Amino acid sequence: MIALEAVGLHKRYGERVALDGVSLSVARGEIVGLLGPNGAGKTTTLSILATLIEADSGTVRAGDFSTQTGRAAMRRKLGFVPQAIALYPTLSARQNIELFARVHGAPRRQASAAAASALETVGLATRAHDPVSILSGGMKRRLNLACAMVHRPEILLLDEPTVGVDPQSREQILATVRSAAESGTAVVYSTHYMEEVERVCSRALLIDYGRVVAQGTVTELIALGGRHPRMEIVFQIPPSAGWLANLEGASELAHSNAGGALELELASLAQVGEVIERVRHFGGRLTEFSVHSPNLSDAFIALTGHALREDAAGGR
Amino acid sequence: MLRAALLIFQNEFRLLSRDRVGLTMLVLAPIVIIGVAGFSLGNLYGANPAAHPYLVVVVDHDGGQVAQAIEAALKSEAAVNVTMVPSVAAARAFVARRNRAPLAIVIPAGTTTAIESGRKARIMLYVDPIKRIEVGAIELRISRMCARITARAQDQARARLAAAGARLRARLDRLDAQAAAAQSAAEHYRREMLLRRGAAERELEAGLRRAIAALEVQTHEAARQSAVQAKTAVENALAPRRAALEAVRAYLLALQTNESEFRRWFANLKAAAGSHAGDIPPPPSFPTPPPAAQLAALSQPLDFSIPAPKLPDIAVPRFSIPSVAIAPPEIPDFAAEAKALARAKSPTLPGALGWRELSAGRGPTQVNAFDQYVPGFGVTFLLIGMVMGISLGLIDERDWGTLARLRVSGAPLAGTLIGKLLSRFTIGLAQMILLFGIGWWIFGISLGSNPAMLLAPAAAIAFAGASFGLIVACVARTHDSVMPFGAVISMAMSAIGGCWWPIDFEPGWMRTIALWLPTTWTMQMFNDLMIRGLPARAILWPTIATLGLGFGYLIVGIAAASWIYD
Repeated sequence: MIALEAVGLHKRYGERVALDGVSLSVARGEIVGLLGPNGAGKTTTLSILATLIEADSGTVRAGDFSTQTGRAAMRRKLGFVPQAIALYPTLSARQNIELFARVHGAPRRQASAAAASALETVGLATRAHDPVSILSGGMKRRLNLACAMVHRPEILLLDEPTVGVDPQSREQILATVRSAAESGTAVVYSTHYMEEVERVCSRALLIDYGRVVAQGTVTELIALGGRHPRMEIVFQIPPSAGWLANLEGASELAHSNAGGALELELASLAQVGEVIERVRHFGGRLTEFSVHSPNLSDAFIALTGHALREDAAGGR
Repeated sequence: MLRAALLIFQNEFRLLSRDRVGLTMLVLAPIVIIGVAGFSLGNLYGANPAAHPYLVVVVDHDGGQVAQAIEAALKSEAAVNVTMVPSVAAARAFVARRNRAPLAIVIPAGTTTAIESGRKARIMLYVDPIKRIEVGAIELRISRMCARITARAQDQARARLAAAGARLRARLDRLDAQAAAAQSAAEHYRREMLLRRGAAERELEAGLRRAIAALEVQTHEAARQSAVQAKTAVENALAPRRAALEAVRAYLLALQTNESEFRRWFANLKAAAGSHAGDIPPPPSFPTPPPAAQLAALSQPLDFSIPAPKLPDIAVPRFSIPSVAIAPPEIPDFAAEAKALARAKSPTLPGALGWRELSAGRGPTQVNAFDQYVPGFGVTFLLIGMVMGISLGLIDERDWGTLARLRVSGAPLAGTLIGKLLSRFTIGLAQMILLFGIGWWIFGISLGSNPAMLLAPAAAIAFAGASFGLIVACVARTHDSVMPFGAVISMAMSAIGGCWWPIDFEPGWMRTIALWLPTTWTMQMFNDLMIRGLPARAILWPTIATLGLGFGYLIVGIAAASWIYD
């Protein structure tokens, strides 16, 4: 059952096209990832879905309501986790959650109970009365998520919810998102971390320059990229010539004389053992090797001709 | 929207309660500035700077009573400390070179003599132009002092003239009494003379009457005796004639009887003559006798009397004793003259034209400087708080992302804005109430005849300030721009609106601009209620003007904020 559907979203800021015909749909219980570099249009898309900005054209529907006909009703179905931490820094964690619960229409007592539950869910029950300003970045991210989920929305929109968080918080956030989806919430998960998409999203849209480059399941997208596993080898003693001959599907990509490193493309991961065996057989000795399985990033590069630029900036 | 507004309203209080320093400064900052301004500029409002009196240097070249009066008056001023120096040069040095006194007073020689002889006298003031405000304050006091001394001298002269006039009037009154006594004696004499003359006239007239009456009696007696004698003589002469007439009467009566007998005889004769009766000739007719009454009268006695002689009335002539030929002397009307003199006003010195201050309203004429500065700086800091609170709060919410989150959560921007405005309005109102309470307690400000009415201007400016903060948040969209922009515009509005000084200090064009500022109308309301002591109805139109401007700001602010933040 489709919970959220966007068709042909266009958005322009002056001369710059932010969105160029983005369409997507999310079913209840489904987590759909929006993967793309910064500036690709993810936040613009989520802002339109969250009714914060209006598309120049295109429609967004949530159940029986659309942004044109029932914005207020749509908002009641939505939970939005903005990219920036949207919290009152001087209020306590609990006060923040309670406020948004009450704004969503919960009576005081119900809001209090929901806040306690949300704090428990994101692992902040012990810090409930601490002001937000003294929480760690990861805690703030979790609290940011809790504020969006306190009213148990039908649709959850997350805009890079794990930026700059510690692994523990990231795991907590991902677990919370999965839990929400399992309880029937339709989730749109925007990120430029392909690993997160791979881990939590049942489907994903690759967005670049405001366009949907590809969409499908993670496997489908990787397949669309047409890439193969890669193996990087650093030799202590290089093997003798011809050591790679007759290994079907394997090819040498690059060779670094200075470091004695070699990058290979393999037909499949099953060839890794064969490669190691051949090195030893041809008199070589390995210092180290690494295997790189094709992923969404590879697919993105293959589809767009450039990388998910933010990987480096994200520190991952 | 209402629910959202209420939630934001509560949340604003929660946010502010976390900012203890900000909360404290809402009251502390204005109190500090109010204290500094009130104590330092209180002289502008006529406050008595007894704690730090002005130093005034005096040179006395006169040495007379007037100089002594001036010195005494200066020394009696709590705001003035007097230092006597011997020469003008020393005084000028005190003012100009040593920079210790704002002015020096030189009382020239002959001042007392000039004033005593009715001429104009003038004291000299050597002033330090740099200390114009102090000079003005002292000059005001000197002016009052000169007026007092002059008035006192005139009062004394007036009193002397009044005493002399009173003595003259007393003398005139005595003269008036003496003249009245003389006039009364003369009148008495005149009346006595008239009485005596009347009595003499009446006595003379009575004597005459008595003499005439005796003469009349004697005359009547003589006439009566004469008439009796004449009657007797006449009766004696007529007696024989009356007897003869009686005989005639008897004959006539017998004749009358015979005639009747003759007629009967003749008738018988004719009857006897038969046919020859006709031949008998008629007898001769007897003459008709006189009537019997007439004949009887002949025999009646003669009764006649001689009437008493009619004497003419002898009128007693009126006697009038002619006045004495020498008329009594005319006594002049001393009393009237004396009264006129007594009524005439004694010449007096012309009165002195002075002045006395009365409040045109119902309040006092002397203003406590804090009556201006507590509302003035209260409004200033309220405005700063409102402008900063609203605009920075809105920018913070935008930067924190909570504004967007609130919108997605179902709180419309208008609701959020109204909630913020309401909370700031409430805080501003509470701030003003607290400031006025402290002002009353510490600085002794006047709260007017109806302190509750002060809530009207406080609420009006809180509303207008909150609404204006919305506009500032739309014009300056970052912390860095809000701080200078908000501060400058708040302070400019306060200064032009008369919060820092009376608006009448400002030039006309600035006062025209001020009409478009809510601070102007608010200060007018505070001044009307606190200083002028006017009733509540006096602030009706200023309240409407302030609220009108506030509504204008609100409409513009919400429209702009919807465009910018929504």
